[in-house]
Amino acid sequence: MLTYIARRIGIGLLMLIALSVLVFVLLRLAPGDAIDAYINPAAPLSMDELAALRARLGLDQPLPVQYFGWLRAAISGDFGFSTQRAGVSVLPLVLERIGPTVLLMGTGMLLAIVLGIAAGIISAVRRNSVTDVALSVTSSIGISSPAFLTALLGLYFFSVQLRWAPSGGMLTPGAPFSVADLLSHLILPAFLLSIGHAALIMRYMRSSLLEVLNQDYVRTARAKGVREFWVIIKHATRNALLPVVTLIGSTIGIAVGGAIFLESVFNWPGMGLLLVNAVNTRDYPVIMCATLIVGACVIAVNLLTDITYAAVDPRIQVA
Amino acid sequence: MHIRTITQALAIGGLLLGATALTTPAFAQDVKTITGGFDVGPGGFPKNFNPLAATGGFTWLNTYFEPLVIYNAELSAIEGDLATDYTVSDDMLTYTFNLAEETWHDGEAFTSADVKFTLDLIRNAASGSVFTGRLGKIANVEAPDDRTVVVTLSEADGGLLSVLAQVMILPEHALASIAPESIATSTWWSTTPIGTGPFKFTKYVTDQYVELAADEDYRRGAPKVDRLINRYFENPAAAVAALRAGEIQFTYVEPEDAATFAGNEAFTVIEGDSYVVNYIGFNQKVDLWKDVRVRQAFMYAIDRAAIVESLYGGAAKLANCGYVAPHLVPEGLNDYAYDPEKAKALLDEAGWADINGDKPITWLTYYGSPQAANVMAAVQAMLAQVGVNVVPRVVDVPTYNGTVYQENNPDWNEFPLIYAGLQNGPNPAGINVGLNKSQLPPAGANIMRIEFDDLSAAFDAAIGETDASQVDARWQDVCKVMNEDLPWATMWVANRYGVASANLVDFVWTPAPAGGPFAAHPELWDIK
Repeated sequence: MLTYIARRIGIGLLMLIALSVLVFVLLRLAPGDAIDAYINPAAPLSMDELAALRARLGLDQPLPVQYFGWLRAAISGDFGFSTQRAGVSVLPLVLERIGPTVLLMGTGMLLAIVLGIAAGIISAVRRNSVTDVALSVTSSIGISSPAFLTALLGLYFFSVQLRWAPSGGMLTPGAPFSVADLLSHLILPAFLLSIGHAALIMRYMRSSLLEVLNQDYVRTARAKGVREFWVIIKHATRNALLPVVTLIGSTIGIAVGGAIFLESVFNWPGMGLLLVNAVNTRDYPVIMCATLIVGACVIAVNLLTDITYAAVDPRIQVA
Repeated sequence: MHIRTITQALAIGGLLLGATALTTPAFAQDVKTITGGFDVGPGGFPKNFNPLAATGGFTWLNTYFEPLVIYNAELSAIEGDLATDYTVSDDMLTYTFNLAEETWHDGEAFTSADVKFTLDLIRNAASGSVFTGRLGKIANVEAPDDRTVVVTLSEADGGLLSVLAQVMILPEHALASIAPESIATSTWWSTTPIGTGPFKFTKYVTDQYVELAADEDYRRGAPKVDRLINRYFENPAAAVAALRAGEIQFTYVEPEDAATFAGNEAFTVIEGDSYVVNYIGFNQKVDLWKDVRVRQAFMYAIDRAAIVESLYGGAAKLANCGYVAPHLVPEGLNDYAYDPEKAKALLDEAGWADINGDKPITWLTYYGSPQAANVMAAVQAMLAQVGVNVVPRVVDVPTYNGTVYQENNPDWNEFPLIYAGLQNGPNPAGINVGLNKSQLPPAGANIMRIEFDDLSAAFDAAIGETDASQVDARWQDVCKVMNEDLPWATMWVANRYGVASANLVDFVWTPAPAGGPFAAHPELWDIK
């Protein structure tokens, strides 16, 4: 077993190195570099000046020298500094962005689950009623609305027109930290993030519950005199939730994409905003570090899964 | 019944969450704060804290750092800032600056040693300063006493003061211990910078905002507000939303957004000259543009007046050379009024059918705004009418720069034609870098590889003119040659906009290129 784990860890490390080579090469294939992003075309610099700036960042070195220099430093935990933020180390910069993204995504998904399941139950129980039709139409709109549209419309109506929530950021600039302030900034992007997912969950929940409500055991429960509320919640909903749970698991990946877009619109200081900005400014160290951290997480999760499988299922070869 | 209970529970939960969200932090009433998107738009340079490496963002940097000299708010003249006054020798080789009495934000005295330290640091290429080349004519910097600095040049440079206006003076006592090669990547800039400006740096929340506090000991008097906050926005639209929502009191806005604030008493729209001339650049390494008649045909084929009227709403000035300032533009220039028939005739005379015919020509630009897209579509259609087939290619700034700045064996066909802008003021010498043959890469940024002898001679004469009374005449000569030779098809100089809350008092902003700096006097800014 230990040999198996050691081998998997070794493979994982090799995959990380392969990923770093791939990202490094792809970044260099993209036109323009950090210095090209730095120049204001309306106030240009000479090539000599640009060369000096490139030399300062080590971008004048041959690519293998750049890569192995980066790799050597990265192994010792030094991922360099952000090229667009003088002197700011990359690793803490990336790590501090994980929390806000998880918070936004988690809250958005939580809202989506609560709203989607509740609306799905109501819609199924009130089948073919006005409420059902209204919820179904709303969910269709929610599913078919692209994230950029809901984000911008939401920003305009809830923030600009109604002023129910701040227009961006995670905390009020200059204000001392407070949970209320954080929530006030979180609620709108999280709600907007949840719309599409809630709509999808609602539809799955509705159809799943309608199917379950016709099952014999539900009829039996009613015949035994169980109150309708408990029939729906305890007997029907619990069974109807199974396909919905599968759906929720598979849409978390989509939520990451939505969160990245919302972070840009709402200036939410998460991984998405960081990466979008880093790509726009060709901030190689940030892109490399963020990609590797995400890659390491995926590899680690896969590794843990495989180890768990190997531990619980003796049929799996570990030798 | 029970469904109703669930609905009620959800509604109550939502209301509670909403009530929490609507809670306004109590701090807002405690201190006077002006919050703005000072680094939004083309003049901004968000997340840049090192003024030595800044190519923009000077409006904000100037709230806590200061230069020796500065443009006035109208950008019409240079006046003293940290230098109370200055004199220039007749041969324009010696500049003597008399310094103001001031202290750094940590209480240390500001002296001439700081000025000498800053200029010497910039002249050291290891510092990674973008001003190293532009201050290359400085031969020596002396500090004969605490309040006097003497700068000696190796040759006259009419643009020196304009460059110095962007050079923020730095504290020797705080930076001397950092090696020049490490200074650009020092964390000092974003953690504990000290300047001499009216506000002191207090906090930077990574990628979110920068907070400054009033310097009560500022030499021109304590600022009227306690704090100044610069919020970062990924795009101008988000800044506009924050402005409308009352979260910020100022931001740069795109022209189409500015129009939506017109007549709204809660806001003041600030309009000004962008000092950026838009042009169609002809890559002289490509054979298509060798004949001046082809370049003239471009000018006649494009109805610039109609584009300015319909797509800019009249908020742009037609440019018949590299600039539009009246005192720099001579009488009798060819105005290249729209005349497609003349354009066709010129193309026929030049043998355009043999030169290129209707083969597509890539037209590269970094302008990605909807307005620019409309402008390029209109120009494309107008050129097509006279038989020139241009195909716009819009890329981001790094891609654009990576294309036109290729060092080794550039593929000229990647950018035979560009649509770009170049800073043409307040000092007109700004366009020299893109047109003088002495600025051919790698020495300069003459990316269209223009090698017109008469034009280069005119630039050299204007920049080297030592008789102040003749300077404008020399720049008029440059304008005349540009108008005749057409190294570029010059289009227009458009206006730019900022919008400020009507609650701001004595707030000064102008859409200066690179954000200025200009004498905005932030110490006088107030908020109702």
